[in-house]
Amino acid sequence: MSDRYVRHPDLRLADVEGDGVVLHLGSRRYFSVSESGLALLQALEAPRTLPELVDVLLERYEVTPEQAEASVRQFLETCRTADLLVPEAGG
Amino acid sequence: MIATGIAVQCADPALRTALEAWLDGLRLAAPPGLVLDVAVTEDDLGSPPEAVFEQPDVRFGSGPDGRGVRLAWDYAPAVADVPATVSVATVRLSPDAARHLERCTRTFLTAVVIVLLRRVGWYHLHAATAIDPSGQGWLVAGNAHVGKSTTAALLAASGWQVGTDDAAFLERDHDRIVAHTCHAPIALRDGGRRLLARAGGVVLPNRGKVGFWPEDLGGVWTPLVSPDVVIFPTVGKTRTTAEPMARKVALTELVRWSAWVMLEPDLAQDHLDVLTRLTGQARCFRVTLGRDLFARPNRLIELVT
Repeated sequence: MSDRYVRHPDLRLADVEGDGVVLHLGSRRYFSVSESGLALLQALEAPRTLPELVDVLLERYEVTPEQAEASVRQFLETCRTADLLVPEAGG
Repeated sequence: MIATGIAVQCADPALRTALEAWLDGLRLAAPPGLVLDVAVTEDDLGSPPEAVFEQPDVRFGSGPDGRGVRLAWDYAPAVADVPATVSVATVRLSPDAARHLERCTRTFLTAVVIVLLRRVGWYHLHAATAIDPSGQGWLVAGNAHVGKSTTAALLAASGWQVGTDDAAFLERDHDRIVAHTCHAPIALRDGGRRLLARAGGVVLPNRGKVGFWPEDLGGVWTPLVSPDVVIFPTVGKTRTTAEPMARKVALTELVRWSAWVMLEPDLAQDHLDVLTRLTGQARCFRVTLGRDLFARPNRLIELVT
């Protein structure tokens, strides 16, 4: 069974012409994210599996499934490091 | 006079009159329905909130139910609770706090009002506001020491309409974001007064500055600006320059100078949305202020055109 990921409830997102700005209310930090990063964080409002997140990129960009999966894995690792993800409730 | 939309409830008639006079003096055209419910009590005011946000003399924490805001004054015992979804701020002052009412209004109760205004979608931004002679609205955003007050005074003396040198309240108005301001003197340090070659003014002893009303400088006070240009200044040693900013960069700067966006989870997204819309409405620039501006203040307009 695949792990599911969900974004931290303290995050607030702004869409600025495709790019994003993210606030983390808990740590009171804010930073910018790329267009694809914003799309993934928007999708992560609800719990998502890795394949579901890969599909988010495949629907938007002309990349191979392998490229998309590598991007998602790297993004999730960055998010974990920055405390942008939480364990799925009840999971 | 523009009536404030903030009503005062207080059993002490003298205190109520003083607070109403303070609010009237601000001339802040806030929507009706906001209430400051103030009581003076010798009761224990409880422990201060765990601070998630601080300003000089004032600490901000979560409200008793984990939502909303509890504010505590450090100078003398006083607390205020502003629930998340209610437009009433319940303020309890110790007798000692009530005895220092000027300082209390200037620091603690001003902070309470800033939190209260968030309930009606007015979001505080550290910015000066102005309207240039062609009718363009300007915000000059940033913290202390970046030249906001000196610039506001210079523009007032050059025929611009000026609203504030420090505190703007952003609000949605149909398809625009507008900035409301209080009627407060432009507060200049000695350096700013020397650069403007201005004598007179009103000494603001608690702030170490001298205040000038826009009207004293030959300008006109305006309570409302619809921003077309936002600048983020710093003081430089060369000529005045302006560099256009990408929207995303401008938004991170606005978040920096509207830090209340981080304070309340219930309102953070709406506050962030207002800042985001502002970056789509206004052209944003990073500006280095040079001394040449004192000879030609309208060079600012040329630089952003």
